[in-house]
Amino acid sequence: MITQEKYRTTVKELLASDSVKMVIGYKPGSTPDRRRPLFIRSSDDADQLVLDSTCITNLSGYLVAEGLLSDEKRVGIFLRPEGIRSINILAAEYQLNMDQIVIFGFDSTGREVRPLEGRHSKDFSALLSDIKENSPQISKEPLLESIERMNEQERFDFWQEEFSRCIKCYACRQACPMCYCRRCIVDSNQPQWVNTSSHTLGNFEWNVVRAFHLSGRCVQCGNCDRACPVNIPLRLINQRMAEMVLEGFDHFAGLSPTQEPVLASFKKDDTETFIL
Amino acid sequence: MSEQQFEPNIIAFVCTYCTYAGADLAGTSRLKYAPNVRIVRLPCTGRISPMFILKALQKGADGVLVSGCHPGDCHFTHGNYHARRRWMVFRSLLEFTGISPERVKYSWISAAEGSKFADLINSVTEDIRKLGPFDQYQQMIKDAQSPATL
Ligand code: SF4
Ligand code: SF4
Repeated sequence: MITQEKYRTTVKELLASDSVKMVIGYKPGSTPDRRRPLFIRSSDDADQLVLDSTCITNLSGYLVAEGLLSDEKRVGIFLRPEGIRSINILAAEYQLNMDQIVIFGFDSTGREVRPLEGRHSKDFSALLSDIKENSPQISKEPLLESIERMNEQERFDFWQEEFSRCIKCYACRQACPMCYCRRCIVDSNQPQWVNTSSHTLGNFEWNVVRAFHLSGRCVQCGNCDRACPVNIPLRLINQRMAEMVLEGFDHFAGLSPTQEPVLASFKKDDTETFIL
Repeated sequence: MSEQQFEPNIIAFVCTYCTYAGADLAGTSRLKYAPNVRIVRLPCTGRISPMFILKALQKGADGVLVSGCHPGDCHFTHGNYHARRRWMVFRSLLEFTGISPERVKYSWISAAEGSKFADLINSVTEDIRKLGPFDQYQQMIKDAQSPATL
């Protein structure tokens, strides 16, 4: 509550002084534990702002909405650490100019929300490095562990079962701040890469492509997982791939706005034991 | 009736400067190798998108081979270094979803390695033959041809 009030005041001040043209935050949603994005342009809008532990959506995708940043004015945004990582990636991939972004950082443990110190992405670099250092210790989801213990056939069957439910609604893509391509590979049909029928084949291909394109870019904000209408545990694939790039290339996505994307860089001595 | 030996379909994506030239050398040296491989030539391993591998499987391949210049020898200086990272990531992704990494193989073959090319094709063909037809994937393909159940 205190955090929320403080931030409301700050947002109002920044808007009044014209330091930002808009602030992206949260407002109440359709149920008590749901939140909606709020686009604050006036002091009145700011009164609707809520900030509590149920504010979990990563809002950073709204920053790359067409034209929003093209007038070079600044925009404020409420972000958890994962969100700060996403905008770092967006900056590293030249999708936004970090100097236009004013960050209202927050995090929560249990129901308690606390502010994160800083306004500019670089203020959070120590925090993000800490998260990287601690990430191997974070206990894995039991389901992920059990998948890793399965044999190939069991893993295949597990994912077939999951992917068979996919309806190719692409909500996972729309919800992801990293999926900003104007034309997604599943929407291109010359050639048609991904089988379009509603069968598992195309669903499998789509999910593999999605996961591949997000390897080393996903910050595990969970937007996709929550958006999936048929509850495919996308977080498990994301987590596995994040582990892979951390182990294989010591890459933790979104550490800084100048970090090289893991699949657009290389080391001459990358391991290659599997290459004949 | 005599048991017919399983002949796998293997698709090889190769770069034109090294492995394709190596395959050429194998040919001009009259080296005989397994006829199971269909070669698709590309400008560089850096151009070999994982989509190609998925496409080959979608069209019924039992195995896929991806091959290019040795590290340091890329015609475009570092296309193969980029490709190598992509392969590592893609390989572990396939493994996680239950596709055997034995079905998709990677190699470095230079323009001078005609005999390595012939040997590799033989050994890859043998390996895939041992694994047998890619039934799991073929079932998926077959299902996709029938009307949807929903
Ligand atoms: S893939 Fe999912 S978890 Fe990862 S950044 Fe995108 S929305 Fe967030
Ligand atoms: S949100 Fe779920 S159902 Fe929709 S395309 Fe993504 S994985 Fe498939």
